[in-house]
Amino acid sequence: MDPLLYVFDLIVFIGIFGIVSLSLNLEFGFAGLANFGKVAFFLIGAYTYALLSQIGLPFYLCLIAGGLISAIFGLLVSLPALRLRADYLAIAVLAFGEILRLIVKSEDWLAGGDWGITVSSAISLAGASHRVDALVNIALVYFCLFICFTVAQLLANSPYGRAMRAIREDEIAAETLGKSRAKFKAQALMLGSAMAGVAGGLYAQYLHCVLPGMFMPMITFTVWIMVLLGGPANNWGALLGAALVEIFDRGTNIVKDYFVLPIDPSNLQYILFGALIIFVLLYRPHGLLKESSIKTKALRLAYNGRRSIKNKRS
Amino acid sequence: MVNWAQVIFNSGVTGSLYLIGAVGLTLTYGLSKFPNFAHAEFMTLGAYIGYFVAEQLGLGLPLALLVAFLIAGLVGVLCYRGIFQPLAKRGASIIHLMVASIALGFILRHSIGAAWTWKPLYFTATWSAFDAGPLRITGLWLWLIFAALVLSLAMHFLLMNTKIGKAIRASSSNPELALASGINVDRVIWITWFIGAGLAAVAGIFRGADTQIWPMTGWDIILPIFAVAILGGIGNFYGAIAAAFIIGLAENIGVVGLIALGLSTTYRTGIAFLILIITLIVRPQGLAMLFRRA
Repeated sequence: MDPLLYVFDLIVFIGIFGIVSLSLNLEFGFAGLANFGKVAFFLIGAYTYALLSQIGLPFYLCLIAGGLISAIFGLLVSLPALRLRADYLAIAVLAFGEILRLIVKSEDWLAGGDWGITVSSAISLAGASHRVDALVNIALVYFCLFICFTVAQLLANSPYGRAMRAIREDEIAAETLGKSRAKFKAQALMLGSAMAGVAGGLYAQYLHCVLPGMFMPMITFTVWIMVLLGGPANNWGALLGAALVEIFDRGTNIVKDYFVLPIDPSNLQYILFGALIIFVLLYRPHGLLKESSIKTKALRLAYNGRRSIKNKRS
Repeated sequence: MVNWAQVIFNSGVTGSLYLIGAVGLTLTYGLSKFPNFAHAEFMTLGAYIGYFVAEQLGLGLPLALLVAFLIAGLVGVLCYRGIFQPLAKRGASIIHLMVASIALGFILRHSIGAAWTWKPLYFTATWSAFDAGPLRITGLWLWLIFAALVLSLAMHFLLMNTKIGKAIRASSSNPELALASGINVDRVIWITWFIGAGLAAVAGIFRGADTQIWPMTGWDIILPIFAVAILGGIGNFYGAIAAAFIIGLAENIGVVGLIALGLSTTYRTGIAFLILIITLIVRPQGLAMLFRRA
């Protein structure tokens, strides 16, 4: 296989899962929500994209629609779920994802059931080679990633993001300060689901198909590994985690071709994933990157002002 | 024409399986205060150990059940001591504990996959099917119902009449007070994890014998089992009995309904998920208020 194409492919995957990882970071890292059904919103985005592109809508509309519908579902799920404790929310959303997968699996008329349907790529240039196609995909995915990252970063440093962190730390204290936890949590779930929906659309068009087997609960937990490894409540950490997990994933696949191991590498990979996550939780619960401190204009001014006074004195 | 007697009987079979699987989950959930998703893999592990003992060594089902109970119980305690207890001592949040249990599930599931491969295995023992009136019954199902009955009586005796059972109930409802009264709460938790994981293994064997054994055997039924634990009220054994049969009934009547509506019967598993979600939203404490807390 073309090695350059392999690298491009890896870059696209890092981008797509970077978006999902950012969205989970928003929900878990900042708002403290245990979304164990991330894959459900990824699925909604992917199937929306697939179905809308079949009736001939342009790709950007399909992507936006995927994000919107996913956000609506995020809101619907959040309405009852916000009253639930963290563990109940996790189980409820996990079950929601499984129900969705069951529906797309059994309803053949909707999207081909078990066999899925093919999806045309978003931007297809006439006569382009695979490499060019991959480059176009990289551009598209990283454009979306850039937007999501900017939104997440702005949010993290805004008063809004600080209120979210306050709710995560102590719901009751935040509520006494007039911050409605239900509103903030619902919005976090909505925004997170929208991002996951866009990523799902990108995924569907990149792989040229959607099938129920692509949306196993496994995806959710891979994304959890990314966020926990990189560092919750740090958007750079979410991206770093996505990159590390994807590279690790590819790395073990390459190792499989060159070494003979006593144990099947695809099993070994998940065993190592599991061990890694337990290790991180035990010894580095804050992930590789610490929670990012808040950066605002006022803080910067205050810091610079103090320094300039110090300079004058010396 | 629907054979309602068969539907009721099948509900009893399904309910028995879910009960055996859910008792351990609900007790450990109540004591350790987090849902252990690796419970699914305790079931899978049990199914494979059972297969190994009953088929590869040819020692029969009763011994397979016993060996699987003991080994899986031991694995459960080791997992608790090795992973969850240190995490809890470091002040990990409930979300971290849940993620850790999923990670443990990965490790167990894929270790099993590495040891036995992912090819489905089948118990070769043929369970004689016979007709009793309008019912079609297999020997395995009778075993399963018998096991659930024995389990219910044994657990009732354990929880109500023994010192350890009372300690489990005390630690579950108020850990601090139990500790202050001189109960070794850590030991109580280990014993509960041993029993819980062991019973999961028993459920895994029955599930494996009824369908097939593969590394996802446990994960296939983990959500219905969560539904039983939550509908019954977490940590509530008597609630779990009622919930197991309610969900068994709902699934089997649901299948009849699905066929009548012309929908795919793959939605069968969805019925339990739906009950799970509705319970969580409408009545997260489950049926607990209806039963004595245990």
